[in-house]
Amino acid sequence: MVESDVNVAAGAEYEDRSVRAVIAPGDLVTMVWRSLFLQASFNYERMQACGWLYGILPALKKIHVNKRDLSSSMLMHMEFFNTHPFLVNFIMGLVVAMEESKKDQSTIRAIKVATMGPLGGIGDALCWLTLLPITAGLGASMAMGADPNPAGPIVFLVLFNAVHFSLRFGLMRYGYHTGVRAIATMKEKTKQISHGASIIGLTVVGGLIASMIKLKIAWVIVVGQASIALQEKVFDAIMPNMLPLAYTMFMYYLLKKNYSPVKLILLTIVIGVAGKGIGIF
Amino acid sequence: MEVTLTQTLLVTLWAFIIGIDQFNGLLHIHRPLVTGLVVGWILGDIQTGLITGATLELVAMGMVPLAGAQPPNMVIGGVIGVSFAIISHLPPEAAVAIAIPFAIAAQGCVTLIFTAFSPLMHKADRWCVQCNTGAIAMLNYAGMATHGAFFALVTFLPIYFGASSAQAIVESVPAWILGGLGTAGGMMPAIGFAMLLKIMLKKEYIAFMLAGFILVTYFGISILGLAVLGACVAMYDFYANGSDRGGRNIKQGVQQNGGI
Repeated sequence: MVESDVNVAAGAEYEDRSVRAVIAPGDLVTMVWRSLFLQASFNYERMQACGWLYGILPALKKIHVNKRDLSSSMLMHMEFFNTHPFLVNFIMGLVVAMEESKKDQSTIRAIKVATMGPLGGIGDALCWLTLLPITAGLGASMAMGADPNPAGPIVFLVLFNAVHFSLRFGLMRYGYHTGVRAIATMKEKTKQISHGASIIGLTVVGGLIASMIKLKIAWVIVVGQASIALQEKVFDAIMPNMLPLAYTMFMYYLLKKNYSPVKLILLTIVIGVAGKGIGIF
Repeated sequence: MEVTLTQTLLVTLWAFIIGIDQFNGLLHIHRPLVTGLVVGWILGDIQTGLITGATLELVAMGMVPLAGAQPPNMVIGGVIGVSFAIISHLPPEAAVAIAIPFAIAAQGCVTLIFTAFSPLMHKADRWCVQCNTGAIAMLNYAGMATHGAFFALVTFLPIYFGASSAQAIVESVPAWILGGLGTAGGMMPAIGFAMLLKIMLKKEYIAFMLAGFILVTYFGISILGLAVLGACVAMYDFYANGSDRGGRNIKQGVQQNGGI
C-alpha cells in the first residue's frame, strides 16, 4: 500500500513470534477511552483507519517490542476500516488478543473485515434507530409543551450514555476474552481461519456495495410524448444497484492501474458536482 | 434582543465542543435538545431554547448518519436555529426554516473536510514505517481541532453579522454544487471497498462477493444475515475440506464423512 523506502510491508508474519501476555485490564480501559476518537481523522480514503490505529497503539507498543514488527503492524492497521463507533470495542478486544498471540497479519485483517460490516449494521439498528429515538424522544417530550422542563436534556444524556458506555466497556472485555479463548482452540488452523474469514468478509463487502453506495441517475429522456426514466426503466430493469457495483469495479480497476486513492476521491467529487450540474444525478 | 460579544463567543465555544462531539466522544451533547438548554442558558432564555431545541430534535431524529449517507447537519442546524429563535423572537417552526439551509451547507463542507484528510493518510503510512506513534496521535488531535474550528466558524459568522446577511450568502451558493457534493459523498464508499478488494480479492473469492451483492440487491437481506450466511459457507469449507492442512484442493473429505 505504501511505496516504502524501508522494506517493511503489511501482511507478513511477525519476526518475533514469541507470545507474551502483556495486556492488563487497565490497558483495555485506556483503549476504550482512546476509541472515543475513532473518527478524529475520518476521511473518504481510509475512513476510521487512523483513529482506529490511535486507539490500539498502546497495545501494539506493548506487544511488539521488535521495531520492524511494530511498524508493519501499524501499516496494516492503517488500511481501510469502518464500523460502528460504539461497537468498535468488540473488534478492538478481538484484534488485540490476536496481536498479543502474534497471529498472521492476513488472519487479523480478515477478522477485521469480516466483523466490521455486520457490527456496523447492528450498531445502526441498535443505537441510531432504537436507543437514540427512545432516549431523545423522552427528553424532547419533557422539554416541550406549556411547561418546558430543563431536566429533559439531562435525562436524555444520562440514559443515553449509561447504555453507551456499558456497551463500550462490556464489549471491550468480551471481545478480548473471546479472542483469547478462541485463539487457544484454533492454534494451528490460522490459514483456514483466515480463509473462512475472507469468505465472510468478501460476502459482506459484496452486500455493502449494494447497500451503502448511493448512486442513482435522475435523467429522464423525453421523446415526443414518451419519457423514459433511465434509472427505473433501464438500469433497474437490468439489475438494481448495477451502478454502485459498476462504480466500485471502476474504482478497483483504476487502483489496479496505480491511480492513487486521492485522485479517485477528486474524480468522484468532479463526477458528482458536474453530474448534478448537467442534471444526470 | 441584543447579543453581547461574550454571548456570541460562548455560543461559538459551544459549537466548537459539539463540532468535535458529533464525530468523536459521541456523548451526544451535540443533539439539538441539549444545545437548546445550553444556548438558551447562554442567551438568557432557557424556555425558548428548550422548546426550539426539542422541536429541532424531532426534525433531526430521522436524520442520522446511516451507512455513509450524509443528511443535513443538524448539529449546526441546532445551534443556529436555537440562537435565532431567541435573538429574533421566532416561533420554533420558523427557526427550523432558518436552520435547514445552514445545515445543508455545513454538510457539504463536511464532505470537503473528509476529502481534505485523505492525502494525509499517505503521510501517516510513512509515520507507521518510522514507528512514529506521536505523529499518528497528533494527526488525530489535528483532525478534531479542524472539526471544532469549522463548526465554531459557521456558528460565529451568522450570529455576529446577523442571520439575514448570512442566509443570503448561503443561498447564493448554487444548489447543484451542494447537491453534487452530497452525491459525491454517497459514491465515496466505493473507493474504500475498492481498496479492500485490491488487498483481499483473490479469484476464488469473487463468487462470494457477487453472491453477497445479489442477496442484498434482490432479496434485501440484512448485513448481519448475510454475514451469518457467509459464516455457514466458511464453516462448511472449514470442516469439509480437511482441518489438518491449509490447502483446500485436497480431496480428503470422503472417509471423514458419516461419523455420526
